[in-house]
Amino acid sequence: MLKVNNLVVKRGPRVTLDDINLSLQAGETLAVVGESGAGKSTLIATILGLLKPASGEITWNGQPVREAHPALVMQEPRAAFNPVLSLRRSVMEPIVAQGTVLGIGCLERLCARLELPSEMLDRRPNQVSIGQAQRAGILRALIAAAPLVLFDEPLSALDAVTQKHTAQLISDLQSEEGFAALIVTHDIGYAVAHADQIMVLKDGRVEETTDAQTFALNPVSPYCRALRDAAISLGALEAVT
Amino acid sequence: MILTVTGLSAVRSGRTILHPTSLDIEPRGRIGLVGASGSGKSTLGHMLIDDLNAQGHSVAHVPQSPDEALDPLRSMAFHWRETEVALGLQPGSADQAGLFRALSIEDGDIRERPWGWSRGMQQRFVIAMALISSPDLIVLDEPTSALDPVVAAATMDLLSSFLDGKDTAMILVTHDLGLAARRVDRLMVMDAGRLVEEGSTGDILEHPQTPAAKALSAHRNWMALPC
Repeated sequence: MLKVNNLVVKRGPRVTLDDINLSLQAGETLAVVGESGAGKSTLIATILGLLKPASGEITWNGQPVREAHPALVMQEPRAAFNPVLSLRRSVMEPIVAQGTVLGIGCLERLCARLELPSEMLDRRPNQVSIGQAQRAGILRALIAAAPLVLFDEPLSALDAVTQKHTAQLISDLQSEEGFAALIVTHDIGYAVAHADQIMVLKDGRVEETTDAQTFALNPVSPYCRALRDAAISLGALEAVT
Repeated sequence: MILTVTGLSAVRSGRTILHPTSLDIEPRGRIGLVGASGSGKSTLGHMLIDDLNAQGHSVAHVPQSPDEALDPLRSMAFHWRETEVALGLQPGSADQAGLFRALSIEDGDIRERPWGWSRGMQQRFVIAMALISSPDLIVLDEPTSALDPVVAAATMDLLSSFLDGKDTAMILVTHDLGLAARRVDRLMVMDAGRLVEEGSTGDILEHPQTPAAKALSAHRNWMALPC
């Protein structure tokens, strides 16, 4: 289980995350939503160990989180890969970096689940569609069986139809592989449809953490209600009577 | 006046990215040009702007991100003045106060450079510039995708109420049928460089005919909420 206790992150004198607490079980999905600058990406960078907290702790099953080798799926699928390497080389990097052994049939199984024909991996990032590149990004995150996968706006570069398809693939894979997913997104529709819990960040603080259904039907704070209503106004969610 | 473009097409690196396409735009038309990534919708949007401008119509364009429209080293006032001059107006003659009020950016300091404004305010400033001369048509290419949801929804609301009752037609270019469906009364669906389906918003949502329209309609939102 991921546990974040009393996390404070500062950049210079400015507090970018203030007293963040969260817990996330294996197999569960937490969506972190909020405006630009709310601290969503800072949270991911801190969990990955790229930023040092001013105080507080982040653990996975009681151990420092880095020992669990959390994986990251990035926002811009093509920019997330080395442009001169084949996707296969990049996808294998976590295996090489962690010095682990790839399970028999693991690559084939994940490729099949992600609807990525194996020969696609011999192409370079600019030789596949953006949706395929993002599925390769998900493959790279899952190849070393990370128990915790962080997704930083995983769908925002994809078109509306591809978004829904990719989100479903992520959810299906999660039920099979059992990883915990922390998804940073500005898309309230995605969060409501696919997350178990939703944490709303505002100005570096937790505005509200709630289960997705409560957030969708009875948002408590005025800010959460504004977010929910904006998602309806933008057509991400449809209100039916 | 009905705006008409005939036989627009585009080829890039030997590949046809837009097959010959003709369309009519009625005054006050609210049109959604929708399709998947790479379907040719932005290409058609750009080509019809050029074609209609060449025909002598006034057509304004709002790009996806304000970064594409604003020079980071120039003040907002400079951008405004430059737009007035480009439109053949006397500097200072456009109804800046009225447009700023309509788009709720009257508190912005136009002596600032773009980065002195929030992104949402920058994008509304770009929309205000596009509306300076009451164009025949405003083309918005994914105008809200760079904005936070609350700001994005407010921006679309402000634009809709500003255009209400005016002759300016609007084309909303987007991959998101859910967004378009709430803002337009006519939809044009693009697929693989062709305009494959056209009809009223209600018809395409309820009775899509082509595979592209069926996919867009089936995935137009994440879920329905009983509220």
